[in-house]
Amino acid sequence: STLPAVAEELLREIKKAFQESSHVPDDLLLGLKFIFGPSAVPALDLVDQRCVTRVTAPSGRTLYQVLGSSGKLYTCYSSCHFCTCPAFEFSVLQKSESLLCKHILAVYLSQAMGACQELSVSEEQLTNILLAEEEDEG
Amino acid sequence: LCRGGLAERLCRLQNRERSAISFWRHQCISDDKIPSDKSGVLIVKILEIFEECTIQVAICQQLEQSPVTLSPEDAVIKAEEPILKVLFTRETAAHLKIRPQDVIHIYPPWQKLLLQNAGVPVIMNTYFSQKVLLSEHSEARKKTYGLTKMLIRKNIISLAQTFRLDDLDDKLHQEPSDNQVACAPQIHNNSDSKQHPLALSAVNDSLLEMVESQGVVGWREVQVRVVIQRVYCLPAREWCRSYTQGNKPLCATPVTNSDPPNVRLCLLVQDAYGMFSEVQLQSLSSTDDIEQYCRRWEGKSCCLAGMKILQRTTRGRALGLFSLIDSLWPPVVPLKVPGQSQDSEMMTTKLPPPSFCYILTVQSGEIHVEVDEEEQISNLYQPPAVHGLKEILRIDGCNERCSFWAQVLYQRLQTKHNVPIDQRDILLFVTDSTLQNVVPGFPKVVAVSVTALCVLSMETREALSAGSRLVFFKDALWGNGRIICVERTVLLLQKPLLCLAAGADLSELTGPVRLDELDSTTQANSICALRGTVVGVNESTAFSWPTCDRCGNGKLELCPQDRELLYCNQCSEVVTTPVLKMQLEVFLSCPSRSQSTVKVKVWHEVSVALFVLLTMLLFLQTYEVQSVLGKEVGLLNCYVHSVTSHPNCVALEEIVLL
Repeated sequence: STLPAVAEELLREIKKAFQESSHVPDDLLLGLKFIFGPSAVPALDLVDQRCVTRVTAPSGRTLYQVLGSSGKLYTCYSSCHFCTCPAFEFSVLQKSESLLCKHILAVYLSQAMGACQELSVSEEQLTNILLAEEEDEG
Repeated sequence: LCRGGLAERLCRLQNRERSAISFWRHQCISDDKIPSDKSGVLIVKILEIFEECTIQVAICQQLEQSPVTLSPEDAVIKAEEPILKVLFTRETAAHLKIRPQDVIHIYPPWQKLLLQNAGVPVIMNTYFSQKVLLSEHSEARKKTYGLTKMLIRKNIISLAQTFRLDDLDDKLHQEPSDNQVACAPQIHNNSDSKQHPLALSAVNDSLLEMVESQGVVGWREVQVRVVIQRVYCLPAREWCRSYTQGNKPLCATPVTNSDPPNVRLCLLVQDAYGMFSEVQLQSLSSTDDIEQYCRRWEGKSCCLAGMKILQRTTRGRALGLFSLIDSLWPPVVPLKVPGQSQDSEMMTTKLPPPSFCYILTVQSGEIHVEVDEEEQISNLYQPPAVHGLKEILRIDGCNERCSFWAQVLYQRLQTKHNVPIDQRDILLFVTDSTLQNVVPGFPKVVAVSVTALCVLSMETREALSAGSRLVFFKDALWGNGRIICVERTVLLLQKPLLCLAAGADLSELTGPVRLDELDSTTQANSICALRGTVVGVNESTAFSWPTCDRCGNGKLELCPQDRELLYCNQCSEVVTTPVLKMQLEVFLSCPSRSQSTVKVKVWHEVSVALFVLLTMLLFLQTYEVQSVLGKEVGLLNCYVHSVTSHPNCVALEEIVLL
């Protein structure tokens, strides 16, 4: 498959450009739009508003929480592409029409630009966050 | 959006880009010649295309010069020319209609991306692309390039493939691996490396064996050889209404505004053991190809590979599918018997029809259907049995599939305005020579209801409205005294190449078409002819309107520049001499149905007396109804709106046959 490698390279270039000049050039932004389509602008908006939080526990286990535009908090995994939002379920899982949802893209962009908020929690709290998703689907 | 933020900046850039794209495309249409400014233009020849998440990935060879400027001999590609991976958005790919062997000119600003693991360079931002047509090659291309190649392989990306933004020596954000929770190993998608899976695998001839041995996951390296009995389109599940036996809709799911329309190409196949399966292929972007697929694929053998089982359905749950299967039973050649030697064949006349059927769909990432179009028609193939309408009306059963060739006389669309046009039911009135030749006890015209589940191509829709067409109705349903076109019915504009013409007359109708005359058996939603004498006039219904003298458009508008003039937006011109049309409801006394009050809205063939009356009603404010009473009207062709018994009244509207 080609697209993941292309997406990864694009994000790396964004990180490199940002590290060198604290600025993302126009052509990379347009590249984001080309590859990620309609997710690009909403994801950048989430980054602008600092909506991504990296949650870490002492064991080193991490996950990301993204505050969505509706005020809902979505959880994105770090070990594989997964997000608890409905758009992920539809566009990525069911239709295979997108690589990522806007929240996962926002996570990567926040990583690239050092815009993640950091939160340290205990093991138990992290576990509760992961398990809480199951209870909500009731 | 945050002011000054990245999102706002991208929005602005994107809007500018969009305007640039549409301006550029517009320019391309207006200047036919290829722009001479070659700076920065990438010229590529497409070798292979596959799809990943709505992006189309084209493996291409970069050309030094445009092949148009070279002679055909020079256009042979040299092996040393560099390979590129060019990405196109779905929209650009559809606009260009890219296919392998196409030559594309990509104008700047495009972007090149070199991937970490070397490999092939990737070209993105290919909005400004143009396809170059080589006229001397296009004929050859049409012949060798069968329809099978229009199905583009789609790769599914694994979710386990995450992105690493860190360089290998950047330890800042790397999680200590010994503390990490063990997770599943990364799955690499190897479908690129499988070049021609079908060439390596064995060919089987039993669908049942394949299904049972491979399980739900799908078939990896094995192929099954089957015969394509029927080709049709099924509407997408999102917007179809299900019909139960009582013809009551089960549920009307909201329409998803799908663009392109969501229609899947399907095949009904049969193996050598007589078992059927419905194979749902991918979505078609345009329904216009359905007639081509039917002509080129029906009756041919094909090999199926990479299928996934969607469902195992039974007779009770899929009445529509099984009515089609029943029409193909019993088979016309002896079937093979499972478990016995290949030589022994079972006589099929006593075998009961199948009670279950597997519905298969394509598994993405693999090539699924190889149809050998050049091969002969299989012996197992049963073409549709074409009957005259008279014979069909005589069929006793219910839910029988029938095929016929008929002339469409009149079309009426269902009037629900909140339903889009392509999802409305259509009522067609058809006839053929078997009904037109006077036969007592049979109507001259039959109504055919085309439901929204029967997929029609744009070409067919236009042909039905334009008129007086002979249409081939393949596998329509007959039952309860009605013919309906449902799922799996196909309407074709050309006579079928092969069909069992059992007593059918496929010739054109000679002479004018006659309708049944209005009488006591006439029902609502039918068409008939009538004659009678005027006994009354409904003056409040007198109405006149101007129509365009060039195209007949009845909806003229006032000119914005000069409110005295009329404007036709279909001709895009001012109408200087409009034709005035008038309409009036009259009450007639018809000898053929003397007991009822007959109310007809006439507008087309207005007799002189009625014309004078209408003019008086509309313009002079005085009138003399006496002048029209007793005048003869007829023979008029009408559509029956309603028939009521209390009061005994028939309401009709004059129509013009197509």
